Formats: sequence, structure tokens, C-alpha cells
Amino acid sequence: MTRLVTRREFLNLLGATGGTAAALKAGTALGLLPATRSAKALDLLALGSNNKKVAILGGGLSGLTVAHELGKRGYDCTVLEASHRCGGRIFTVRHGDLIDEIGNRQYCEFDDEPHMYFNAGAARIPTSHKQLLAYCKELEIELEVFVGENNNAYMQDDGSFDGKPVRANDYKTNIRGFLSEMLAKSMSAQQMDEPFTDEEAENLLGLIRSFGDLREGDLYQGSTRTGYASGGYLTHGVQKDMLAFRDLLAGPMARTAMTAYEGDYGPCLLQPKGGMDNIIAGFLRKVGEQVKYRAMVASIQVNNDGVNVAYDQDGERHQLEVDYCFNCIPTHLTVGLDHNFPGDYVKALKYVRRGEAYKAAFQAKERFWEKEDIYGGITRMNNRSSEIWYPPHGIHKEKGVVLGAYDFGGGMYHTMMSQEERIEAHLRDGEKVHPNYRNLVEKPVTIAWHRMNHMLGCAARWRRSFRTWTTEEEEMYHTLQAPVNGRHYVIGDQMSMHSAWMESAVLSAHWAMEDLDQRVRAELA
Amino acid sequence: MIRKRLIISFLIALAGISIPLQAAEEREPFDDRYCTTCHGADGRGNYGVQAPRLAGMEDWYLIRQLENFRAGIRGVHPRDIEGIAMRPMAAKLTDESITDIVDWVGSWEYLPTEVTVEGDAAAGAQLYSQCATCHGADGQGNEALGAPALRGQNDWYLVTQLRNFKQGWRGSDAQDSYGQQMMAMVQMLADDDTINNVVSYINTLGRN
Ligand SMILES: Cc1cc2nc3c(=O)[nH]c(=O)nc-3n(C[C@H](O)[C@H](O)[C@H](O)COP(=O)(O)OP(=O)(O)OC[C@H]3O[C@@H](n4cnc5c(N)ncnc54)[C@H](O)[C@@H]3O)c2cc1C
Ligand code: HEC
Ligand code: HEC
Repeated sequence: MTRLVTRREFLNLLGATGGTAAALKAGTALGLLPATRSAKALDLLALGSNNKKVAILGGGLSGLTVAHELGKRGYDCTVLEASHRCGGRIFTVRHGDLIDEIGNRQYCEFDDEPHMYFNAGAARIPTSHKQLLAYCKELEIELEVFVGENNNAYMQDDGSFDGKPVRANDYKTNIRGFLSEMLAKSMSAQQMDEPFTDEEAENLLGLIRSFGDLREGDLYQGSTRTGYASGGYLTHGVQKDMLAFRDLLAGPMARTAMTAYEGDYGPCLLQPKGGMDNIIAGFLRKVGEQVKYRAMVASIQVNNDGVNVAYDQDGERHQLEVDYCFNCIPTHLTVGLDHNFPGDYVKALKYVRRGEAYKAAFQAKERFWEKEDIYGGITRMNNRSSEIWYPPHGIHKEKGVVLGAYDFGGGMYHTMMSQEERIEAHLRDGEKVHPNYRNLVEKPVTIAWHRMNHMLGCAARWRRSFRTWTTEEEEMYHTLQAPVNGRHYVIGDQMSMHSAWMESAVLSAHWAMEDLDQRVRAELA
Repeated sequence: MIRKRLIISFLIALAGISIPLQAAEEREPFDDRYCTTCHGADGRGNYGVQAPRLAGMEDWYLIRQLENFRAGIRGVHPRDIEGIAMRPMAAKLTDESITDIVDWVGSWEYLPTEVTVEGDAAAGAQLYSQCATCHGADGQGNEALGAPALRGQNDWYLVTQLRNFKQGWRGSDAQDSYGQQMMAMVQMLADDDTINNVVSYINTLGRN
């Protein structure tokens, strides 16, 4: 007799087979769908005739979000941006653009065409990042699909398969096959009897067999899921050989193949058509008039009824007196400003460190990857260049821009290299995947975020330990989130527990504006 | 586009500083006055980047350090993390840029530093009597001996330097004759506590 297994029963079953850890995991997996966070409209009081001035320090995404939202409510906002451009870590590099990496300034020499761009900072939007997507909609920013996972892209590891590139599909199909075979064999009929009904046991085995494409006797003997070695259309397809499991186990690439596209890195993502900075351009269509460029904040003095900001522009020092201040300047740079923040606030500011992300890209003279059946997606290499990204846009055009290296940091390896050394390293790494790479690519750009002017880093690092926040770290976080005198707010993804995502930058701005709104409502009541 | 809008006014503002300009195209200009990104507003020093105070620094010392970084005499030892961060910032500076920077740094007003190091200043005073020979009784420096002013410098930076000299991470280059002198002197500072003590004393020297 079949009946639905209740959630508790299922947990008990898993508990019996796999112990409590498995049961706990199942608890969240099954745990009724997480309440979907819907993009909420901000409920902020419109000021009417109550004139209030706001200084926004830094034209990052969070700063522009504040300018846009408070501007709509009648606040008088000024954005002070130290750089020649807004967007900070949202940076799309195109023909002629300056890459303001201190000590290694470059101009981008890509062809001047709309699809020839490189998102040197933020590059992908997870579809669950609702607040950001809501702004894309509101600001009419055209989006297209960004391909994360592509089974036709490669895995390359000097220590496996004689260093030859192997399609991700071959990796995954073979890993699944081998794992399924082991799983099927280790599940003796006896064990299965215990917690499962006959039908459940049969279904479970069926799942395992089909997960790995097992044959009779629960053997994995290769699979046509990898595509054929030859034939397949007008003649019979010839199955590819199995991969050697030893090679799959040799390095970290098997794990990468199976897990690289989970959560926020999901296989299917979005990107603005024409470059990530179209998001910034969208905000600037609304608030562009309020932005002062090459206006570098030097001093922030918070007092009881406002904030005095001083900034340098055109070789002169200017003063700006405002009621409120929203600051997305990276914390470690705010430390070096003239300020009168309280001691515990300064302690928190000083505590935060920065990740060292690094990216490089080339203009490809031809779209060689398309000849290898690759349309978008990411090749993974077990070397320092780490990744090659194929553009999902500009399909079948003559040229394209490929990402030639993405180093998430954890050191200054690429940052400390000269431009020539960086390029040579990426060519050397890349030609292991695409043999003629060196001749197919040109006009490199490299971006070491730890040296980008006015940024000096990527993700804010609040934790010293990789996994957990200490109580002290949490306390400092909340200290810095709270406004000084109700007047000075730190914003940006640095003021979130999920840094290096645009969504976090937007949410930090929303948190700060809602906090301000309560104060303003109380004051005007 | 917005990013190109300001170019003309900057060309005027930056006239006199060498800017690589492309003949046909308008390109965003840049210059070598990027020091405050790391060294803080008006060169006050920034603990967040471990970059010390430049405001109030003697011209001759500033020039020598920039030249040393540029030549790879300072900031090359693999353990000298902060020096390694600074070296590429000087690597491409021309002599003209250095002259311009020295002018610019000279325009910054010195402001009192924050005290962050804890130590026994009285014990430090005893030690300091030997430092005074070169750095001056008030830590005001001595150009003739090539020893820079110490008073008013960020105390956390002084600590790093004393450690680096002691470990040979700064000053061991064969061409770094001034650094070598200092490296020899610092051996009298037995341990971290002694270093903190002498720096605490330097903190008391203040600055006008
Ligand atoms: C390599 C890389 C990859 C990323 N990938 C993704 C991704 O795929 N998806 C995603 O969602 N996010 C990604 N991110 C993260 C995303 O870019 C950031 O979370 C977001 O852009 C941060 O916005 P922010 O508001 O915190 O401001 P920031 O971008 O940090 O901007 C700060 C601004 O302050 C300015 N400033 C600094 N000093 C001063 C001063 N003294 N005076 C005035 N202005 C000053 C700076 O010039 C800058 O414009 C990536 C980031 C990097 C670096
Ligand atoms: C990327 C950040 C960064 C930038 C940009 C930078 N510096 Fe530095 N600088 C540092 C750090 C960090 C140190 C500390 C080195 C050490 O501890 O040995 C330093 C040290 C120095 C020193 C040595 C001070 C002393 O007392 O010996 C001088 C001089 C200096 N920098 C000048 C400059 C000038 C001038 C510029 C602009 C042209 C500049 N720096 C730009 C990070 C930077
Ligand atoms: C024989 C002369 C001499 C004596 C004595 C001496 N120093 Fe120095 N010191 C120097 C010189 C020269 C330099 C500059 C090195 C260089 O140019 O790189 C220096 C540099 C320094 C620096 C680095 C400053 C900076 O801005 O980077 C510190 C800190 C320092 N000395 C502290 C001390 C202390 C503390 C003592 C006593 C324990 C001391 N010195 C004794 C000659 C001396």
C-alpha cells in the first residue's frame, strides 16, 4: 500500500540510515520552501516642504540607491564621488576607458562595438536578488541571460588526464556514474528493508541508477549523456570511453565540477544587456545631476544637528553642511579621513579587512569557443588564472571579449605581478585549454581590485575565521550599522553579512533609509 | 557620456603635470597624485591601509624613500608586507612627478596623531637617549645624519618599522646605507615590549 510519507517520518527514516546529521540537513532541504523574499517597496515619508539636505559619500550602488529613493521623497541629495566615474565595483570596461589601477594605469583598447565589453567587477545577477532586479525593472535596464554552468566548457588540471582539457560534461557524467555504482552496491537489500517500504526502496535504487546511468548489475560503463565520440545523426552514435576515476580523484576539479554553480552562482543568471554599468547608468538617468565627480571626501564631522563634510575637487577644498550623511566609502579608506567618530565606531571601522579579487580579459580575434560548441559559460582550471569565461552575448559575431583570469583573492599573487607577467601567466594557463589561445587573443586588460584607486579591495571581510562570526565581530558589525548621532550611516555591501553582492549593497541602503525614516517621522510628528 | 564630460576642465586643472594624451581621442586623464587614497586625507596616515603620515615629512627624507622604493632598495623583502604594498606605487614615478609630489605633500598641514600604542614611556625615555644622537632630543630629525623626524609619526607605523629593521626586512639591502645604520641601532631594542616603550616615549615628544 502506498501513502505519502509525512515530513517527520521522512526525517526519522533519514535519521535511521544516515544519523542525525543527515536528518538535520534534510530538515532544511525539505524545510518547507523558504519564505520567498519579495521585492518590497520602500515606505518612506515624503518630505513636502521640510527641506533636508543629504550628502552621499561615494557613488557606489548603495549610494546611488539612497540618492534615488530619498530624491523621490524630496530630500536634497549631493553625491560626492572621488573617481572620474560612479559605480565603484560595478565597472564595465570598454574601448578607450581608463582602468585606474594605481601603479598600473591602462586604457582599454578593445574594438569600439557594443558587445565588446568586460564586466571587471560585478558580472552576474542571481535571479533571487529581488531588490536589485526590481530596480532593473523600474529603471528600464534591459536584462539577458548569463550562462554560468556550461557542460561543454572545460575542466583542466595539470595533474589529471595528462593535463588535457576535459569537457565539464564528461567530468560530471563519469563522477555521477562512479558514485552511483558505489551507492547502489553499498545499499544491500537488508539495509533497505529497515526504514523503507519495498516500493520506496525500489524508487530509491531507481533514482540512484538513473542518476549515474547504470547498466545491468548496477555497473557504470560509460554513458551517452556525454555526447558521442562520433556519429549519432545519420549513423549510429559511438559511445565515448569512460574516464579514469583515478584522474577524476587526483585534484580538486571533481568537486568544482559538481558544486561550482550552486546558490548565488546558479547555472542560470542574468546580466544587463551591454554591460553591468547600465545599472549605474539607469540610476544616473535619475540622479546624475546631483553627482560631483573627482570630489574626494577628506573630512566628516558629525555634530548634534547635522554633518559637516569637506571634499577636494579641482584642487580646492569645499565644505558641505547637511542634515544626514550616507557613506559607502570602503571602511578602510574612511579610517584615513579626518573624522570625529566615537571610539567603538572607529574600532569597528579599523577591524574590517578587504579581499583581493583580480580579473583579466582579452579581446578574442575570433570566437574560437563557438567552434568548440561553447556558447557562454565558464571553463575551470586548476591554476592561478582559474577561469575562462565565454561571453553569452554577441553570439556569432566576429570577435568577443573573454575573461582570461579570475582570482578571488586570498593573497596578492597576481596583484604583485607586472602587467607583462600577468598577461604571460594567463596566456600560459589558457593555452592549456585552447592550444592556439596565445594567437587568438589580444589587447589584454587586468584589474587588481586591491590597487583600484578609491577602492583598494573587493569584499569586506568582517570575519577572521572562514566560517563563523565571533560575538565580538557581531557586536562591532551592529555598532557600525547604527548611525552616529542618527546622522551618519555606513552603507554598502560592507554593511551586510553577505558581502560582494550588489543585492547586499541595495539592502544596506534600504536598512539605513528605513532607520532614517523613523527618526524623521518622529521629528516631524 | 558622463565620464568624458569633465575631461576638459581637468586638462586645465592638471596642466603642468605630465598626462599621457592620445592624439585623436579624448581619454580620461590621470596623474600621480594618488597618494591620499592610501595615506589618508591630507596625508594624515591611514591605519586601515597601514600607510603612514606624510604630512610634515622632511623633503629630503620623502625624496630618499620614494627613490629607494623606486629603485627596489626598500619594500622588496618578502616579509615586508607594507613595504611591498608601497613599492609599486613609486616604481613608475618620474623625477618630475617626485618633485611635484614633494610640493604637494608640503602643502599639507600637520595635525596631531592619535596615540594607539601602549608602553612604559619612562623606560622608553632611557632607551631613547641613544636614539637622540641621530634623531634629535625632541625627535625632530637630523638632515646631516640622514635620520628623519620621529615625533608626530603614527605610532603603529614606528612599531612596524622598528620590527622590520630588527628582522632585517628593511635596511638590509647593500645599497641602503642609511637603512643599514638604523638596522644596527635597533638591535639595542630587545623585544616587542622595549619597542612599545620607546615608541610610547616618542609619543610624548609631541609636535607643534
Ligand atoms: C571582482 C568582483 C566581482 C563581483 N561580482 C559580483 C557579481 O557577480 N554579482 C554581484 O551582485 N556583485 C558582485 N560584486 C560585488 C558588487 O560589485 C558590490 O557588492 C557592489 O558594487 C558594492 O557597492 P557599494 O555601494 O558597496 O559601493 P562600492 O562599489 O564599494 O563603491 C564605493 C565608492 O566610494 C568611492 N569613494 C572611495 N573613497 C572616496 C572618497 N574619499 N570620497 C568620495 N568617494 C569615495 C569609490 O570611488 C566608489 O565609487 C563583485 C565585486 C568585484 C570586485
Ligand atoms: C596602495 C597604497 C599606497 C599608495 C597609493 C601609496 N602608498 Fe606610500 N606607503 C604605503 C604603505 C602601506 C606604506 C608603509 C610601508 C612600510 O610600512 O614600510 C607606505 C610608505 C610610504 C613612505 C615611507 C614613509 C616613511 O616614513 O618612511 C613614503 C615616503 C610614501 N609611502 C609615500 C607615498 C607617496 C608620495 C605616494 C603617492 C605617489 C604613496 N606613498 C602612495 C601605501 C601606499
Ligand atoms: C646612527 C644614527 C641613528 C640612531 C642612533 C638611530 N637611528 Fe633611527 N634612523 C636612522 C636613519 C639614518 C634612518 C633612516 C633610514 C632610511 O633612510 O631608510 C632611521 C630611521 C628610523 C625609523 C624609520 C622612520 C620612518 O619614517 O620610516 C625609525 C622608526 C627609527 N629610525 C627609530 C629609531 C629609534 C627608536 C632609535 C633608538 C633606539 C634610533 N632610530 C636610533 C639613524 C639612526
